[in-house]
Amino acid sequence: MSAARRPDCAVIGAGPAGLGAALAAREAGLKDVMLIERDVELGGILPQCIHDGFGSIVFDEVLTGPQYAQRYIDRIEAADIDVRLNTMVLEMAPDRRITAVNAREGVIELEPRSIVLAMGCRERTRHQVMIPGYRPAGVICAGAAQRDINIEGIMPGRSVVILGSGDIGLIMARRFTLEGAEVEGVYEIMANPGGLSRNVVQCLHDYDIPLHLSHTVTFIHGRKRVEAVTVAQVDGGLKPIGETERLVPCDSLVLSVGLIPENELSLQAGVELDPVTAGPVVDESMHTSVDGIFACGNVVGVFDLVDWVTRTAETAGRGAAEYVLGKKKIRTPIRVNPGRNVRLVVPQLVRNLGREVDFYFRVQRPEREVRANVLAGGEQVFSRKARMVRPPEMIHAQISASGAAGKAKDITLEVVPHEKET
Amino acid sequence: MRTETSSLPARAGLVIVGGGVIGCSIAREATRYTPDVVVLEKESDVSCGTSKANNAEVHSGIGEDAGTLKQKLNVRGNQMYDEFVRGLGVEVKRHGMLIVVTQRVIPEETAGGMSEEEREEILTRKIPQGIVAYGEKAGIKGLRVLTRDEVFRMEPNVTREAVAGVFDGTYGLISPYKLTIALAEHAVINGARVFTDTAVTGFRVEDGGVKAVITDRGEIETSLVVNAAGVFADEVADMAGAGGFIIHPRKGATLLFDRQVTAEYVKSSVAEFRLPGQKTTQSKGGGAMPTDEGNLQLGPTAVETGDKYDTSISAEEIEEIFERFHYLLPDFPRDALISAFSGIRAPTLEEDFVIGASEAVLGFVNVAGIQSPGLASAPAIAEMVIGILHELGMPGEPRPDFDAVRPKPARFSQLSNAERNALIKEDPRWGHVICRCETVTEMEVLNAIHAVIPATNMDAVKRRTRTGMGRCQGGFCHNRVAAILAGELGIPITAVTKDGEGSPIFLGTAKDFLRGEGA
Repeated sequence: MSAARRPDCAVIGAGPAGLGAALAAREAGLKDVMLIERDVELGGILPQCIHDGFGSIVFDEVLTGPQYAQRYIDRIEAADIDVRLNTMVLEMAPDRRITAVNAREGVIELEPRSIVLAMGCRERTRHQVMIPGYRPAGVICAGAAQRDINIEGIMPGRSVVILGSGDIGLIMARRFTLEGAEVEGVYEIMANPGGLSRNVVQCLHDYDIPLHLSHTVTFIHGRKRVEAVTVAQVDGGLKPIGETERLVPCDSLVLSVGLIPENELSLQAGVELDPVTAGPVVDESMHTSVDGIFACGNVVGVFDLVDWVTRTAETAGRGAAEYVLGKKKIRTPIRVNPGRNVRLVVPQLVRNLGREVDFYFRVQRPEREVRANVLAGGEQVFSRKARMVRPPEMIHAQISASGAAGKAKDITLEVVPHEKET
Repeated sequence: MRTETSSLPARAGLVIVGGGVIGCSIAREATRYTPDVVVLEKESDVSCGTSKANNAEVHSGIGEDAGTLKQKLNVRGNQMYDEFVRGLGVEVKRHGMLIVVTQRVIPEETAGGMSEEEREEILTRKIPQGIVAYGEKAGIKGLRVLTRDEVFRMEPNVTREAVAGVFDGTYGLISPYKLTIALAEHAVINGARVFTDTAVTGFRVEDGGVKAVITDRGEIETSLVVNAAGVFADEVADMAGAGGFIIHPRKGATLLFDRQVTAEYVKSSVAEFRLPGQKTTQSKGGGAMPTDEGNLQLGPTAVETGDKYDTSISAEEIEEIFERFHYLLPDFPRDALISAFSGIRAPTLEEDFVIGASEAVLGFVNVAGIQSPGLASAPAIAEMVIGILHELGMPGEPRPDFDAVRPKPARFSQLSNAERNALIKEDPRWGHVICRCETVTEMEVLNAIHAVIPATNMDAVKRRTRTGMGRCQGGFCHNRVAAILAGELGIPITAVTKDGEGSPIFLGTAKDFLRGEGA
């Protein structure tokens, strides 16, 4: 076996996160950047996201998924980046050794000077939400259905019930309808929709697809192919109420019940994960707990907008370049505390408050008329009013602390009622 | 789609009804004496009934009632296993079973006038020693009593309520469907013929003896029939007038966890000792155990059902499993749950195996009531049935041309990098990963489709290669596997099924739908 190759940076995954990270690392001065993708093409999930709504922050334009991806793919192709398609990373060790495989080269051994994790996320399945019943054909996750329809041109269902009102579920309700299938309804166990408000309007209301909040599927019927599902209203403790059970005939159950960051490789390399985000604990340059390993996009935590994925990717790519070029000063990190009505925050650690730091956070519960604040050492370094905050939507805050706040020993993010300050 | 697309033979020396682990064990053993063996299976693949949905355990016999045929065949079957699988390309792992004695066997509040010393004496000495004595009487070797500390050293995740244990090192694990497939292939290599999608509808019985098997695809003349039809064995026996027993289907649900999270969570099969009155279900109690691939599994339940096709799981069963194991393994990783399955068991009213030549119909052998520990007993059941078949006229001389080896399909994920490179050089499709969770390559899928017993649908590929068995449950690979199946079988992708007729994965192309067509 030939000696291991030692690229400056290996980016794992070529979805929006990997594309952005590879470009940023290259543009920040790394000469040998390798982009490893297991699929046949670049772009990750974007090529199948043929609806619009991408790019409003990064490009100040509304693009489709393929358009958004293409902008990066064009730049990647012009940027002298070593792209390996159809290549699967099998192993990653704490000392950054990578074993990958493809049909052309066989097993590839790498010893990159830095790594950016950009593996994205996967969909939760029926068993992770424990839907009782049979195991027939016709139970499928929304993103998988999206790929079947938009990429392969094959229909996984004709008469469809959708469980979960996450964005992919909402988008797929519209997609199935446009393709000539019938969507009986979207069922959501929580009292509020799981996806963005604009998707509820544009994908359900505009097509007269009913949204049943506080409802879930309690049984899947059909031994060979789905024949029906039982749905029921849930009580305050999310337990189905027996007397509200109703049989809904259908041939498919499409699930949009959450996304899980894909961190199997991260775990192999000993990367510390945050139990709340289910992704690596990172600092403001997206550096993980393992030396020289960075992470960005949905592998760090599930973002609502691809634009934020790109932003974290650019940060990670630049961070990897600084690391390799020896510009990064390792300082003792301070922990970022989620304060009032804040469920999660990325990054979880900050080493240098002196420069611009981007925070992304989600609230625990919907709230009206609030202020999102960032406090450094007790001093308010960011504050913004919001009419309404909802758990599905990520709040972004860019801070640049100087003076005393720049030397603060603790940072807190909070969402507080607006009135509090007046 | 049929395993053998050619028509049924006009006659056969031996016809076995049912392609489960029992039918295939008997078929393989029979081919040691004669190649003239036919297996009929009504489903789209072998191992589609009870054999695909159980806990993969090679029990020792310690859980069985003394004096039953079940216990006798279980103890013998366990001892025969390593020899039984030699050359098959599947292995039995002797991982052992730990029976844990806990405080709640004698709850303090019900200990009555018992002193603490007396209670401890019973829990830590008398009960474990009693278990050992019971097992030794049945012929199980190597049982040993463990102290509380030894229990924790062996299984650190077990409840602190544990006070003692018994370790049974003869317990094993084997993938029941990989075993069944391997047995069927080994039988075919030695001349047997396996027909899937072929349902038996009746028998021709004349002059008190069986003369032919009637199927939905035609008739096979034969004078020897083995009924290994699992939950349907009573109905098949009745078709010949060779019945007299009832199978009352009972389903058992098991929860499966992500192996990356749960590898080594338990090393052995861990079961909690309960006194007879303390058992909440009719199952032997089930346990927590690894699969042959290292996933933690919890279960099974035992629920009577009127429907022999009822492989559903109820919310109550899931809750029951969680509740039951919350005591034994207080911190088990609920969030790592990736799958749940339910299998049908085939108990008779007597709850014992029914094995023997019919007195009413000459040449008809019932092998019925084979519920747990049927997998463990399979070698001994086959041995017993072969003895019966010899008496009924099957050739008695071992064949000199019997081929002892069924080649083991290569698995990319288990090879060294050098081995991987050698295969990729041979065929680049060895380097194309199709299932990312379980690292299954295109070549493995192709090999499964073109195997001795060919995989003709998604579940059949899954059982042979593990595609779709990982944490994403096929989200990534389902359309890729479907496309390969369609290409190799020469059918449109919309004709690809999950597990045979009536289970299409896709209902039409997008174009069909827009034209108002499609299934």
